[in-house]
Amino acid sequence: MIGFVILALVMLLGGVGVVTFRQPVHAALSLVATLLALAVTYVTLQAHFLAAIQVIVYAGAIMVLFLFVIMLLNVQGQEPAPHLRWMRPAAYAGALVVAAGIATIAFIDRRPLPGADQVAALQGGSAEQVGTLLFSHYVLAFQLVGVLLLTGIVGAVSLAQRGNPAAPAEPRGEAAPERELTHG
Amino acid sequence: MVPTPYYIAVSALLMTIGSVGVLTRRSAIMVFLSVELMLNAANLAIVAFARQWSASGVEPALSGQAAVFIILAIAAAEVAVGLGILVAIFRNRVSTDVDELSEVRL
Repeated sequence: MIGFVILALVMLLGGVGVVTFRQPVHAALSLVATLLALAVTYVTLQAHFLAAIQVIVYAGAIMVLFLFVIMLLNVQGQEPAPHLRWMRPAAYAGALVVAAGIATIAFIDRRPLPGADQVAALQGGSAEQVGTLLFSHYVLAFQLVGVLLLTGIVGAVSLAQRGNPAAPAEPRGEAAPERELTHG
Repeated sequence: MVPTPYYIAVSALLMTIGSVGVLTRRSAIMVFLSVELMLNAANLAIVAFARQWSASGVEPALSGQAAVFIILAIAAAEVAVGLGILVAIFRNRVSTDVDELSEVRL
């Protein structure tokens, strides 16, 4: 239990950091802390393969991509308040109500969950077990994810080299927003 | 062993923190980071429920973990395309303020 409390605190503080830090790099690193704590939580939930995947794919690949883009865009901390004046208090109030509601329902609802007495029986979550299920029962979903990833690769590449790659780079800073689109 | 409602409560809190970020931040990259937070909150809830169902056999429990694996792959594809769009927008407008991006063009 004490371990869970520590993990939950790290996750929640990391999440608050993501939302409140002004600098995008700080927010991204805060999200890395949340993701690593989540990976440890997966281990406590008997999902060892997912924990490894979480560290490799999320904390590794996806966050590195984020940091690259943050450096590429060179965004600084200044960020004006939202246009809609009521948006910020409404968001905080609504989030508070929703979180309190879900947490209350999760604790108050005393209907027995299926087999709540023998939950600890699960000894699994290894790559072999999850992989066997993925390649037998969920093989269609697995193949579709492959197609989706291929589509994502093609889309990302075509977005990255939009326009004529041989043309000189347009000047940054005073780029006119009304520039005609050049379809590559 | 920690009961499932505790995990669900943490997941709900993470989800709402992420939604606050989506609603209040104006930089598109911060909105993206908040969306990642929400995705992970959903994953935590799915894995916790998967363990809860493990009493009815190994397969229901591992089904939840397989679903989370597929969500991870989809999140990776989403981030790649989304950040590509972000870079393309920044190339044309030098700003990634979501309040100013009200046209459906780059």
